[in-house]
Amino acid sequence: MVGELAGNYGNILLMFGFAVVAVGPALIISRMISPRKRSNPVKFLPMECGQVPKGEGRTHFMMQYYAYILMFVVFDVMAIFLYAWGGSILMLPKSATLPLIAFLGIMFAAMAFALYQSQRRNIW
Amino acid sequence: MEFELLACGGRQIMSVIAPTFRLSYFLKSILDNVFWIIVLVTLVGIPAIQIVLFYIEMPVINGELLTPFLALTWLADPSRAIPIVKAFMYTDFFRIAVFPGFGLAALVAAGTIFVERKMLAKLQLRVGPFYCGKVEGILQLAGDGLKLISKEIIIPAKADKPIFWIAPVAFVGTAAAFVSLIPVAPGWVVADVELGVLAVFAVIGFFPIVTVLSAWSANSKFPFIGGIRALHQMISFEIPLILSLLGVVMLAGTMSLTGIAESQEFIPWIVFLPVGAIVFFICILAELERIPFDLPEAESEIVAGWLTEFSGMMYGLVQLGTYLKLYAFAALFTVMFLGGWSGPMLWPPFPEEIITDGIQLGPITATIPGLPLLDQAMLNGVLWFLLKTVAVIFFILLPRGVFPRIRIDMLLSLGWYKLIGLSFINIFIALALLYAGVLGPGGII
Repeated sequence: MVGELAGNYGNILLMFGFAVVAVGPALIISRMISPRKRSNPVKFLPMECGQVPKGEGRTHFMMQYYAYILMFVVFDVMAIFLYAWGGSILMLPKSATLPLIAFLGIMFAAMAFALYQSQRRNIW
Repeated sequence: MEFELLACGGRQIMSVIAPTFRLSYFLKSILDNVFWIIVLVTLVGIPAIQIVLFYIEMPVINGELLTPFLALTWLADPSRAIPIVKAFMYTDFFRIAVFPGFGLAALVAAGTIFVERKMLAKLQLRVGPFYCGKVEGILQLAGDGLKLISKEIIIPAKADKPIFWIAPVAFVGTAAAFVSLIPVAPGWVVADVELGVLAVFAVIGFFPIVTVLSAWSANSKFPFIGGIRALHQMISFEIPLILSLLGVVMLAGTMSLTGIAESQEFIPWIVFLPVGAIVFFICILAELERIPFDLPEAESEIVAGWLTEFSGMMYGLVQLGTYLKLYAFAALFTVMFLGGWSGPMLWPPFPEEIITDGIQLGPITATIPGLPLLDQAMLNGVLWFLLKTVAVIFFILLPRGVFPRIRIDMLLSLGWYKLIGLSFINIFIALALLYAGVLGPGGII
């Protein structure tokens, strides 16, 4: 029984593997038939529209949107937890919905507070 | 070469093309090739085929276990070929490689690229691809594929090479894993898993990782900026994407995609949950990085975003993965909201007299056992599924000709404020429908 379930999920991995095996040779064939001209000084530099690049490739970027990534880590998991309830709601008694409404309220309030904090640019 | 030309004095220009051609050398080269082919086939090819056939589980046809010998002889006999083809069609490999899996998705992706080019051109009062293949530039895609595969792959010197090589292949693989979860017709799905919706979310979660890894490994500024943008965008729209499907799961009472498609045999969920459908559609646009949400590859600001350093076939593979992903998302919308394969019977039934009497051509009567190859319900389901999916793909392509690109702060506020709020409203609509006794067990409908 457990094996059957795992077998179905295994098909996803098989499909992944098939796609890799099917399209991987395209890169190898391309490497074999495409011309490989001799190098010149700018050929393998990062592309910057014809300018000679300066500084690091992995540049620094602003932290002002980092709050959203922190929020994602929390609320993604909470959203997935709701599926445990949503998938079985037809089998649950109606009284079981009230705690879930409370959970939704907590989730919504927490999200509103986090969004308010993420708007305060001076702390990021 | 120029020295030879001078020596000949231009008298025998033709001989310059193949200056040392001799028939004996030509024949010798052909014989050499034949020799090596025979050696390799006998030493490697035939043993490999034997080993593979030894381990493959062969089907039982007409009460007789199929051996490789019988398969090869029966394929030459048209009256007994169809059972073999049928047995092959129910194997996992056929599902993964051809029908509900990679082959169908790649075909739809190719059609999507063609339609997108022509439709976008019509919207912008252009002609679009025209010369390649006499009819409406239909061979343009094949031409582009040949061009991409014959271009040199240039990798930046400071790039993290293994990750950079793996990224396009992993992108296509992830898109294919997503395709494998989509049911196309009753019973025709690669991976019929019980928690299909959660599996879809799990697979979708890999796209930002692949994107950010490829952007980081290129060690260049534009891909890095594009990758960070893609990360923010996919992350912001993943929560409304997840929440907007919760209403459907609540009403259908199951998380398997096949079960959800079966639950809307008469009325699709878009009738009851239009808010969720709209939120989900906007999230699809954002996850696919399509206009108006194409910030990660904004070609007028950051050269091509996270695709900047990809060249040649690597770029081609990323594009293939993008369109596979587009097909998968459109198919997911069809399954969740439009009813999947359900629809009135349009496909004509297979003519009975061919099964009973066989095909009559003058004096010859050929009775072919094993017909029909595919039953009517399955063909009708595939027809309806593809019609709906193509319609959704059309609506995904349409904004590209209409809308401008939006700023990243507008994108984030749209994802975090409006869409999450709307998807909460959608959950309460579903709850109200359940508890008001409209839907669900014992409901009016």
